Order: sequence, then C-alpha cells, then structure tokens
Amino acid sequence: MSELTHAPAQKRFVGGRFLGGSQLVLGFILAVLCITISIAAPQFYSEANIIAILRQCALVLIVASGMTMLIITAEVDLSVGASLAFVGCIGMAVLNSTHSLPLGMLAALAFAGGVGLFNGLVVTRLRVNSLIATIGTMMMLQGGVYLFTREAVQNHNQLASFTDLGAGYVGAVPVPVILAALIFVVAYVTLRFTTLGRYLYAVGANERAVRLSGLRSERLKLFAFVVTGLCVGVAGMILSSLMNAGQPTAGRGFELTVIAAVILGGTSLLGGRGSLFGTLLGVLVLKVIDNGIIILGWNQDLQMVVPGIVIILATYLDIIRNKANVR
Amino acid sequence: MSVDFLHPGEGAAIDSDVPALELRGIGKRFPGVVALDNVDFTLEPGKIHALMGENGAGKSTLIKIMAGVYGKDAGTMRMRGREVDIRSPRDSLKEGIKVVFQEIALISEFTVAENIFLEGYPTGKAGSIDWKKIRTDSAALFNRIGFNVDPAARTGSLPVSQQQMVEIARALAHEARVVVMDEPTSSLTPNEVSLLFTVIRRLAALGIAVVYVSHKLDEVFEIADTVTVLRDGRHISTRPIGEHSNDTLIQDMIGRRIDNLFPRKRGVPGSKVALSVENLSTAKKLNDVSFEARAGEVLGFFGLMGAGRTELAKAIVGYDPITSGTITVDGHRLAPHDTRTGVKLGIGLLTEDRKSEGLMGELPVYQNASLASLGAFARLGFVDKAKEHKAVQNYVDRFRIKTPSLFQQVKNLSGGNQQKVLISRWLMRGLKVIVVDEPTRGIDVGAKSEIFALIDRLAGEGLAVVMMTSEMPELLGLADRIAVMCEGSLTAIMSREDATQEKILNAAIG
Repeated sequence: MSELTHAPAQKRFVGGRFLGGSQLVLGFILAVLCITISIAAPQFYSEANIIAILRQCALVLIVASGMTMLIITAEVDLSVGASLAFVGCIGMAVLNSTHSLPLGMLAALAFAGGVGLFNGLVVTRLRVNSLIATIGTMMMLQGGVYLFTREAVQNHNQLASFTDLGAGYVGAVPVPVILAALIFVVAYVTLRFTTLGRYLYAVGANERAVRLSGLRSERLKLFAFVVTGLCVGVAGMILSSLMNAGQPTAGRGFELTVIAAVILGGTSLLGGRGSLFGTLLGVLVLKVIDNGIIILGWNQDLQMVVPGIVIILATYLDIIRNKANVR
Repeated sequence: MSVDFLHPGEGAAIDSDVPALELRGIGKRFPGVVALDNVDFTLEPGKIHALMGENGAGKSTLIKIMAGVYGKDAGTMRMRGREVDIRSPRDSLKEGIKVVFQEIALISEFTVAENIFLEGYPTGKAGSIDWKKIRTDSAALFNRIGFNVDPAARTGSLPVSQQQMVEIARALAHEARVVVMDEPTSSLTPNEVSLLFTVIRRLAALGIAVVYVSHKLDEVFEIADTVTVLRDGRHISTRPIGEHSNDTLIQDMIGRRIDNLFPRKRGVPGSKVALSVENLSTAKKLNDVSFEARAGEVLGFFGLMGAGRTELAKAIVGYDPITSGTITVDGHRLAPHDTRTGVKLGIGLLTEDRKSEGLMGELPVYQNASLASLGAFARLGFVDKAKEHKAVQNYVDRFRIKTPSLFQQVKNLSGGNQQKVLISRWLMRGLKVIVVDEPTRGIDVGAKSEIFALIDRLAGEGLAVVMMTSEMPELLGLADRIAVMCEGSLTAIMSREDATQEKILNAAIG
C-alpha cells in the first residue's frame, strides 16, 4: 500500500515545498502588484527601475537569509537594525585607519558576529527569551554607537574596492545583488539539503526531542544567531559603502522590515516551518510596494502603512488557505 | 434548588422511565469524513453510562454535539421526552447538559466560587455582586457532592482533580440533568480516582445521568452501569456492564478479537549486563537508586504517581542532571552526563510525553523517524534523501505504520502510529538500552497490543528494555523482572515469577 501512495505524495510534496503553502498566495500578491503598478506606471518595467528594486532588495535579503534560519529554530533577533548601523561605523573607522578592505570587512564581521554570539549565549545559556534578550541588545547597541561616535564616520579612505561594494556593477548587475544572491544560495542549500539544515528545522519544531536524540540543541541555535550576525556584518558594510559614511542613525526599523519579509514568506514564528524561497518572495513583495509608491508619486509615508496592511492580509489569506486544506 | 419536572404543553408526567437525554439517528460529517453515522444514545436518569471506543470512533464528536460545540447534521435530541435544538454551548447548558472536558475550562486566575457562578453572579442591592452569597452557595454545592474545595482558593492553584470537582459543582449550580465526564482520570493519581468515583456515584444518586467517556477497561467495569461502544462513527453495542467481559468489550471496540494482549515470542534473557546504575541521586527526586538491566530482558519499573519513574528515566539517559552516582552502558561510563554521550553509548528514551518531548508535529514522518540517525544518511553534510527514505520506508513496512505517505505531518497520525515512528527513530540509530516511559499512554487498545509486541521484539533482538509503567497488567504481562519505586527510592526488585499484585503495591506504598 505504501508503495502505491508513495510516488504521488512525493510529487505533491516537492511541488508544495516550492510553490505551495503561503508561497502561492505570496506569488499571487506579487504578480498582482507588478501588473497593477506597471499598468498605472509603465516605467516600472524599465531596466533601471528593476535594477533599483533588486538593489534595494539586496540588503534586506542578506539579513533575511540569516533571520530565516534563526526564526526556523524558533528564535528571533531584533537587534539587527541597531547592529547594522554600528557595524557601518566600525567598518568605516577601521577602513579609515588601515586603508584595507579585508581588514575593514573582518572588523565588521567580527563585530556583527560577536553581537550574534552574545545574543545566542544570552538566549541559550541564560535562557532569556530571545525577544527580550535582543531588545536588550538593540538598546545597548543604539546607545553604544553614540558612545563610539557622535556623528557619521565619513569616508576618508577613498578605496575604490569599498565604493564598489555598494555602488559597483559586474556587467549589468550591482555588486550587492550578487552578494545577496550568493548568501541566499548558500543559505538555501544549507536549509534544504544538509543535515545542519534539517537539524535547524528540528530544533525549532521540538527542541527537547532534538536534545533527547543526542544532538546539541543549544549549539544549533547559537549557530543561527551567529550566522544572522555575520549577515548583518556584510549588509552593514554594503550600507556604509552606499551612504559613503558610517551613519549611527542608519538601520532604524530595519529589523522590522527583515522580520516582516521572513514572516510574509511563510516562516512560522513558532519555529520548525518556513523556507528561504518564501523569504525571497516576501522581500520582493515589500520592496515592489516601496518602489511602486515612489513611482506612482504617492505619499511616501504610505511606505510603512501599505506593507503593514499586506502582512495582515497575507497572513489572513494563509489561514484561510490552511483551513481549506484541512477541510 | 428546585427543578422543574414538568414541561408545559407536553402534558406527560416525567417518571424515571423517560430518558434524561435521548439521541436518535445522530449524523455528523466533516468534509471527507463521516464522523457519526446514525448513532443512537440514550441516558437514563441516575445511571452511569460509559461511552467507549478507540480514537476516531466518534466519542468526542458525540459529546461535542451534546455540548453544543458542533451542530449535528442529522437526528434528534430529546431532553426528558421533549425535543430540543442545541446550537451553542449556552443552549446546552440551559437544557441541563454539562460536559467536563479533559482540558478543564475554568479561569485559573479566578477563585473557585467565582468560577462556579461565572454565568450569572447573584447580585444584591443596586446590582452589586453578592460575594457572601457566592461563597455560601458554593460551599453548599460542595457539600452535596461530598467533597470539599475552599471556595476562596485561586482555581489555578488547585490540582486537576480538584478543578474537576469545581466543574462538577458548576454542573450542580446549573441544575444539570446530564453530566458528561470526558476521560476524567487521565491525569489523576489512584487516590484521586477513587475520590472522583465516589463523587460520580453521588451525582447518580442525585438522579443525574452521567456519561463516562474512557478507554480504560478496568475503570469502566468499576463504575459504569451501561456501556455503549462506538466504532468508526457507528453505534456498535449498548449493554449492561454485567453482560460484558474484557474480551467482549475489546472486541466491540476494535472489531476483532485479540487472543493475547501480551504475546511473548522472545527467549530467556542472557546474563550480559547492558545497563548498570549505581547509587544514582538527583537534586529533586531520586535517592540512591541502583540496579542492572541485562541484554534481552524487559525490566519493568512500577510506582505510583510521583514515585520518580519519569525522573529516573530522564536521568539515566543523560537528559536530566544528577547529583551523584554512575551509569554504565555496555561497559562504558556515561560521562559527561548528557544525551549526546548517552546516544553515542547506545541508550535512548522513548518519552511518556510524545507531543512535547518526542514528536516534531509539523514535520513529516520521515524526518521524525530519521532524526537520531541522520548522520548515517549523509555524505559531507549533505543528506542522501533516497537512502534515508528507503530506510524509513523499511520501518514503516516492518512496523505497519499507518500513514498515507512518508511526507505526512506526524501530528496527523494516530497515537499508536506516532509511537511506532518514535520507536523507529531509536531503532534506526541502533541502541543497546531503550528506556520506555509509559509506552501506551494515549494509545488505543488495538494499537496497544502492537506496541507490546514491538517491545517484546526489541528485547528479543537483544536490547535491554527498561520500562516505566503505572499500568499493572502491562507490567505483569511484559516484564521479566519488576522493580518498584516509592518517593524516589527503589523499594523492591523481584522476578516475574515471584511477583504478585499485592507484593508490588505494598512496595509501591513503601
């Protein structure tokens, strides 16, 4: 009997993994958005605009890749926005004094990875709820960055390679988009094909079961925190390159955009469920909305309002779809 | 508390021959499933009526229809001869039906008295709530059921057994004619069970029709007057309990005979010590516990609630910390004391709490089965899914795990099949010692015998099985040797041949 039911079920599942679940709803929303906006404003489909959208997606997608892993383990990191600003300032300061992009990158990654490690240790060792722990970290970083510098750290190094990090192109594709694509692919492959990825889902689905199976659940969570931190390190450097300065005020609300994209993509805050492909769609939806509002010449304050509506709507549609599946 | 025994317009005096509640031809379908099909169910006042059946038989659906949680698709309901239309829990309560669900529906932050009168507080002058009356009335209610709970206590601070009493008191406050108890003993100690039974008999003596939903045979034989069995949404039988034996009841419930609940196929255990525990103590419970388990034997641990069986199970696999003592698995000491070392040495726990410690409910069957052995299916960190699926499919076939596919979310499987998935998880890993804690909790009678057969087979294949159980038949039917615990200490170890229920219970009391 199992032989008979095996094959079709597998087919359904693979399809379901890729474009099923909330992704279907999301893909639909994305399509509707693109069509509507391009009818109202044909320049939406210009090459320049598409590149602009992708570039804006890049920063969010880089951090959202790490955040997806973290949320799959049933934890969350609210300090990524504050860390992003701090990383930019530190990276720029190190670049200014060393005139070396590798050293600047290293400093940024070390700092951001350190923040992730700190969050992870507080959550797994001290057992502080990650929502609270990372709000604490966020406040420390928001204040700490002003102890480090009162104003923007200007670019005094004029390294071409650093400028390229944010503004450069390979062929027609912006460098940040390439970096984001690389990070996305690595994270996607890890989550989908490796034992590590499977353990991340497992720890989010049932941490105790994972521990009873002889696996070190704390380390898995710690790993996800550090990866999220490292992603912030990359994104922070790109951002400071784009702004040509390390801005202590940058990144306000960035954590919300990232988490919104992840959740919009169907990753469950309860852990154990979610996919990076969904996150990609989530980022695209949010950024297409952003872009559409600008192109259509609407009030820019709507850039916050509309995504808020979309998140509630998408989650609601997902609930309806789930119910329809159960029935 | 006066009860209106006459209903205007019907003109018939109600005597005890008129059923308290009569359900006729009840039908209920959910998309894709017929949950109830033409079910009759009649309750006599003052009688205790057991409602039995396996999971999915339709018990819950039927009582939820009585409670007004679900609407029925077909059939009629009559309260004392009068047809009623119940569309909501409120209607049901108004008609005098009170269902005490397993998950107790009280507000834990409120006092007992407040909960009892939740649907309508007595008020004094100027509409203010009459607290004094609330307290005296609830005290009077407890008096009637012969059980005392402090009406001023915060409900959440009470044990489940007392919260049940609060629910029953609520039923009396609503002048219920029908009280439904849904699996009321699932989290009670033996003492609490006998108290509950006393109270249930009181309710019956007050003329209330009691529905007792359970799948525990011994309880039903003890308390019920009549038994109705459902299977696959159909009414199978309604008989006085005296006409039933264990076998006939099981046969009605699962639709076939089980000749021997405890088939023994394994041979005599060898003499090789697989697990040795010496002077084990933990901070909270265990006190100087020492024992050995041999390869190929089932060592059964018995104890009353709170004796420390689960604590022992979790300590010897390295899950919970210990304060002193040593654990040796197959000649190797379990140090450092963690599950990682434990699993490496070959000791694992089949937990009593499948949902919160065993299953990854959202994840598919195959991922649940391969969790502990995933490394064996991986090359350079990449999972060879084909190999993994083949291995899991092998276990699905061998253990006859009923699932539509390997990709089904494990939460959708029945308890028995979930348990088989978790046993597969350990067998795929390969263990020397398996600790099974209440292996048949929440599992149907039919599936139970399969789990027993599996445990027998595990021991037959040379594993040492350490089985924690509170079910005497399970203990006597499966174990080669029996260890008894009381308040964290080991009080006796005896061979199966020397064991009697009395000896075991005496050791369990300490």
